[in-house]
Amino acid sequence: MARAVAVVGFGQTKHGRRDEVSYPELVYEAVKAALDDAGITPDDIDAVVSGSMPPAMEGIGAPHLYLSDALSAFGKPSIRVATCGSTGVSIAQMAYYHVASGLFDVVLAVGHEKMNENDPQGTMTTVGEPYFQRPFSGGAPGIFSMQAHQYMYRYNLPEERVREAAAIISVNHHENALDNPYAHIRMKITVEDVLNSKIIAYPVRLLDVCPSSDGAAAVIFAAEEKAKRFPRKPAWVKGLYYAGEEAFFGDSDKVVWQSAIIAAREAYRMAGIQNPRKEIDVAEVYNPFTFQELIFYECFGFCEPGEACRLVEEGVVLRGGELPCAPSGGVLCTNPIGATGLIRVGEAALQVTGRAGQRQVPGAKTALAHAMGGVDQLNGVMILSSEL
Amino acid sequence: MGRKVAIVGVAQLANEEVSNYNIREITYRVIKDLLEQCGMKRDEIETIVTSSSDYWQGISCSNTFYYDAIGGYLKNSSKTEDDGAFAFLYGCLRVMSGHFDTAIVHAVTKCSEVPDPSTLTNLTADPFYQRPLGLDDLSAAALQAKLYMDRYGVTEEQAARVVVKNLENALDNPYAARRAKITVDDVLRSEVVAYPLKTLDCPQDSDATCAVLLAAEEKVGKFTDTPVWVKGVGWSVDNFFLGDRDLLNGALARAAKKAYAMAGINRPREELDVAEICAPYSFQELLWYEQLGFCAAGEGGKLVDAGITARGGELPVNPSGGVLAANPYVARGLIRIAEAALQVMGKAGDRQVPGVKTALAHSTHGLAGQHHSVIILGKEGN
Amino acid sequence: MSQAEVKFLEQVVYLPYRWSMGPVYTRFFEEFKKKKIMGTRCPQCKRVLVPARQFCPRCFVDTPEWVEVSDHGTIRTWALINFKFSGQPMDPPYITGLIDLEGADVGFLHFIGGVNLADLAEVRARIKIGGKVRARWKEKPQGNILDIECFEPV
Repeated sequence: MARAVAVVGFGQTKHGRRDEVSYPELVYEAVKAALDDAGITPDDIDAVVSGSMPPAMEGIGAPHLYLSDALSAFGKPSIRVATCGSTGVSIAQMAYYHVASGLFDVVLAVGHEKMNENDPQGTMTTVGEPYFQRPFSGGAPGIFSMQAHQYMYRYNLPEERVREAAAIISVNHHENALDNPYAHIRMKITVEDVLNSKIIAYPVRLLDVCPSSDGAAAVIFAAEEKAKRFPRKPAWVKGLYYAGEEAFFGDSDKVVWQSAIIAAREAYRMAGIQNPRKEIDVAEVYNPFTFQELIFYECFGFCEPGEACRLVEEGVVLRGGELPCAPSGGVLCTNPIGATGLIRVGEAALQVTGRAGQRQVPGAKTALAHAMGGVDQLNGVMILSSEL
Repeated sequence: MGRKVAIVGVAQLANEEVSNYNIREITYRVIKDLLEQCGMKRDEIETIVTSSSDYWQGISCSNTFYYDAIGGYLKNSSKTEDDGAFAFLYGCLRVMSGHFDTAIVHAVTKCSEVPDPSTLTNLTADPFYQRPLGLDDLSAAALQAKLYMDRYGVTEEQAARVVVKNLENALDNPYAARRAKITVDDVLRSEVVAYPLKTLDCPQDSDATCAVLLAAEEKVGKFTDTPVWVKGVGWSVDNFFLGDRDLLNGALARAAKKAYAMAGINRPREELDVAEICAPYSFQELLWYEQLGFCAAGEGGKLVDAGITARGGELPVNPSGGVLAANPYVARGLIRIAEAALQVMGKAGDRQVPGVKTALAHSTHGLAGQHHSVIILGKEGN
Repeated sequence: MSQAEVKFLEQVVYLPYRWSMGPVYTRFFEEFKKKKIMGTRCPQCKRVLVPARQFCPRCFVDTPEWVEVSDHGTIRTWALINFKFSGQPMDPPYITGLIDLEGADVGFLHFIGGVNLADLAEVRARIKIGGKVRARWKEKPQGNILDIECFEPV
């Protein structure tokens, strides 16, 4: 079986609008922070893996080459992975497999994005294939909004109830972000603010939706023997999986969302988790849209289908609850897409090793990290734990 | 090397077979071919790693377009970008980890659907300092060629011999896009496109897709009795700015060193039976010979002069015709691996080099070869 | 260095593409031009997939049987787009949705219209999941996906 792999370092940039630095400088900031966190230099890194959204997002070709110096990759094996929004978790999974293979002991994983250098939705529209679907996606908001509508209808949930639950999620995450010095959007809002905010893609509104952020994150993975010698407590990767669906948006149900269900189920199996609601202490779910987060709760087995609103209403997934989600403020408050999934992994690692500062969930031992990508098409999950 | 992995199946589609079909269709067909060849059903697929590039497809998050065509419905699949060899390397890592016993590896590029490769590779140049100067794959290669020729006295004739060799080899490769019996003179008289490079020194852009099945040692027997073992792998990247780099001595030597060490190869020229080298530009093949340790620095030209790397020579290089004969940019790296594997399997048809036991497959991408990977394949597991 | 001193380089990158449709999509659009929506039926799972496909993604077999489906259907889901971005097909607001066409087993992505888009209350009253719609075709179809202007409530 695979040898044990742990996260031994995590660094990220201050996310937001980073006009004052170039793209390579932004990446360098995260890599430096991760190396410092782990107490090592590039010489200690055996391989680098990196990724981001489509290169068109920054108008650069082959980003892993353009950024090779900032990635500290000179002279190293370096591979680029790109799976749309799920990239961050795909990068983490690739780094994991580099180490688990036995070929490398210490691997640097870097996710990066500088979204403010272009029109992000303009780029995202090019994800849709040109023959049948591209004109109709309405960017990411269009797709997620269609999904939200379908969800409400499926379980006969009054729209007001779902909107309110979504708004509570938004308020909760924005408040969490105030304790996260790296988060992009840090502001206090109310449920009314969310309900009354501008419609982006009905039924989704501005405060239900993530920002476009510039940012980068770097996570260092190490093999068991080496991991134990790092200054930071290791956060062990206990399980990971990934699944995807058809290219046509209309081919699969996105409410009982199989790729999300399977990604979680198989990651749980690997990690020996049978009752996620009880056994997971904190979840960094990929949540650029509040409504979609409700669907993920169900797909990840935190509650029965149709019951996600109740999780919110009863405070289970809010700060102080039984299974707090997004103590970092989540994707809702910070979304440099190529880095986002990797930030989830880094935040999960901080949580289970007691290093999350003001945003620490007390006593967290097992955490879930997740990212989604494509036109509601791809889902990847990773489980981290303080115990081997 | 840890858990042993072998290639147990190879499938390719190219040119006329793919040009009139969209990427979903050709991906489906090459995967179906591979599954049938190996007697594997879609249910049995454990994981798939694909390589394609958004700009080289005109569809962002390129693999989302064909995720189901690759057999990926509800399967665990990832995408590496820019180099088909990346998908292969990642596929190996997945199997070596023990989480998967098999992995499908795939790559696809249709140059016929995309803008000029110079337009696309110009995008890989730094937008502030290099792009406005029109730096692209071709001009970067030209800079490298000039330096190489000046430094060692390698001649345009010697580079032309590479073209003649490869295009003639391609006559026996049904997947090649440019196949011809030409002369050194033909190459020398072709139009100068970026001095010292002429049209015939440059690759033939083409359409292709390729898929390979990897299996862990315990499972190999289920699929084939001619497994091709992955004996060694190495890959490495150089600095980004051309001016920061030694253009004649970069990442390839490092990548090769790692692969050779893992495979226990000390004298590559003697121990390798065939090599599929990714050399989009004629003179690069000579330079890569040196970086791969087939000869000393500056001596690459002499190898081709003496016919050492010809089909019937001591170490045939690019019996498939290489990238000069077919350049489906992202897929080319995986095709080198596929071709090398076919050689070891003894299934390379008319382009078979007799008695191959050990083969080298190489890929490169990025301006003037910023990134290189080397893979050693062999008949024996030992 | 203060923010005011940093400069920006602005450029629009223009990239022309030319994608092969392949024989299946080519035939789909030839029929579409005649105001017919074609699907293909999977011999294994028997689902009718629209638009017509070369293969079934779940069974992974060829789907050579062509079937015409109706241009009437019901709304599976919808969203009203209210923000701008480059390369958008039209200025917002507009509605995008998945339609379950009669005879098809998968959702068809397209625009929904025939309602006053400026009035959200009216939109919500007339556009409902499960609501019946039918295609409004262009007068002179060109053989591309926009030959249908939108689906309208019946």
